[in-house]
Amino acid sequence: MLPTIIAHPSSFRDPSGFIFEKEGTIYRQVNVLFREHFDYFTNSGCYNHLVKNGLLIPHEQINQNLTGETTCYITLKPERIPFISYPYEWSFDMLKDAALLTLRLMKEALHFGMVLKDATPYNIQWYKGRLLFIDTLSFEKYEEVPWIAYRQFCESFLGPLLIMHYTKIPLQQLQMAWPDGIPLVVIKSLLPKRSRFSFYTYLHIYLHQKIAAQGHGRYKDIQKFSKQKLVSLISSLELLVNKLILNAKRSTWSDYYDEVSLRNSYLEEKKNIINRWLNRLETINTAADLGSNKGEFSRLLAAKGIHTIATDYDPYCINDLYTSIKVSHEKNIQPVIVDLANPSPSIGFNNAERSSFYNRLDADLVLALALIHHLAISKNIPLENIARIFHQTSRYLIIEFVPKEDVKIKLMLQQKKDIYSSYTEENFIASFSNFFSIEEKQIIPDSLRRLYLMKKIEA
Amino acid sequence: MIQAFLLYVDPGSGSYLVQVLIAAILGVTFFFRNIKLYIRSFFLRSKKPKDNATD
Repeated sequence: MLPTIIAHPSSFRDPSGFIFEKEGTIYRQVNVLFREHFDYFTNSGCYNHLVKNGLLIPHEQINQNLTGETTCYITLKPERIPFISYPYEWSFDMLKDAALLTLRLMKEALHFGMVLKDATPYNIQWYKGRLLFIDTLSFEKYEEVPWIAYRQFCESFLGPLLIMHYTKIPLQQLQMAWPDGIPLVVIKSLLPKRSRFSFYTYLHIYLHQKIAAQGHGRYKDIQKFSKQKLVSLISSLELLVNKLILNAKRSTWSDYYDEVSLRNSYLEEKKNIINRWLNRLETINTAADLGSNKGEFSRLLAAKGIHTIATDYDPYCINDLYTSIKVSHEKNIQPVIVDLANPSPSIGFNNAERSSFYNRLDADLVLALALIHHLAISKNIPLENIARIFHQTSRYLIIEFVPKEDVKIKLMLQQKKDIYSSYTEENFIASFSNFFSIEEKQIIPDSLRRLYLMKKIEA
Repeated sequence: MIQAFLLYVDPGSGSYLVQVLIAAILGVTFFFRNIKLYIRSFFLRSKKPKDNATD
């Protein structure tokens, strides 16, 4: 008797198949229902073309029915994505590129007589330094009808991008409020009036919303929608998305390294110490650089072949990191927007469809540089609570302690009352010693700051 | 006709209809846009040999 296999909690909407995990390996079952489309996808050469061009995740076909279900047609074993991230954690340019990838896939698929049956950013993931489409079952035969996923594209890609473009505010969080796409009527009401004078915005949002609000129950009348019309529709979306930009406003943190590098050799010394420690650690394959800013230290880890998740709550910094990775083609850095005082929660059906940030994070090493004072003093989080969170996520921790005498903390305390009598190095050591053994400690020359290398105490 | 099982994503009937209308508008728009692009490329092409000559 085969053990019961449960589909991944996010893989239940599409009856064509589902994702499941067995003995630590990810599989995708294709259901008999989808046989015709899947065979066409493979036999037409569409699959090979997309994989060859680095647009779609490759898979291996398994000649075994692992679930034992009678609905099983084929089982696939796709390559595993090390860290799944969600669109509300992506920077503007990353979402924009994901939108362009979706449109490109649609055009490429059309060459083979296929279309995308859905257009959600959740079908795109970061893999080996680039965005990749991961839903192999999204391709179906083109049947001369309008694009089934048009509204989904407008609500889950175009809408958030237009809102950020016009308001000049990074509003990734809106996608968390509406994970299935921001309703057209909401997009319309958040956009400034002048946006309707943009021709393609008018067509895809304003006109779209107006007709969608009226047109119930009539789509069955539509008989034929030619390929040329579909290509025109996709091209117009491409032209619009290509024009959208995140206004390059400087945030508080954008100039951090320029400013920091002026502080004598502080940055270089910090790098030297970390480099030395990294060389003596056991195998480190994955790391998370929390509060990464523009990823200076993530790069140091990535250069050693460590898959590094670079997180920061500043969307401008992460966007800068993303655009620089696009140019440098670094494969080991994954830029993610996360506010550690309010990390992404579990959302969706049964609070299980999209997993929380800490549920997904499982790193060999956490880097927490120039971070602790922001959590402890700006956000009033007790040191013990910070230590506990780091303990849950990594085997090793490299953490920088910033004492109260540091100029940055003095600046912070100019604005608020000093209620932080417990913020001392002794308390820091005491709190972290409950969860970690301290392996190394070193003062960073030219500063009052100290670096610690800690190893998790296993429960 | 659309197969029922493929409609697991609700296309929204209005979103279906609007594509017919938008495609018609785009047909006209792209017709003129292509003429514009053709003229532009024509002039750019005729400029090019000059550029090379000055090299």
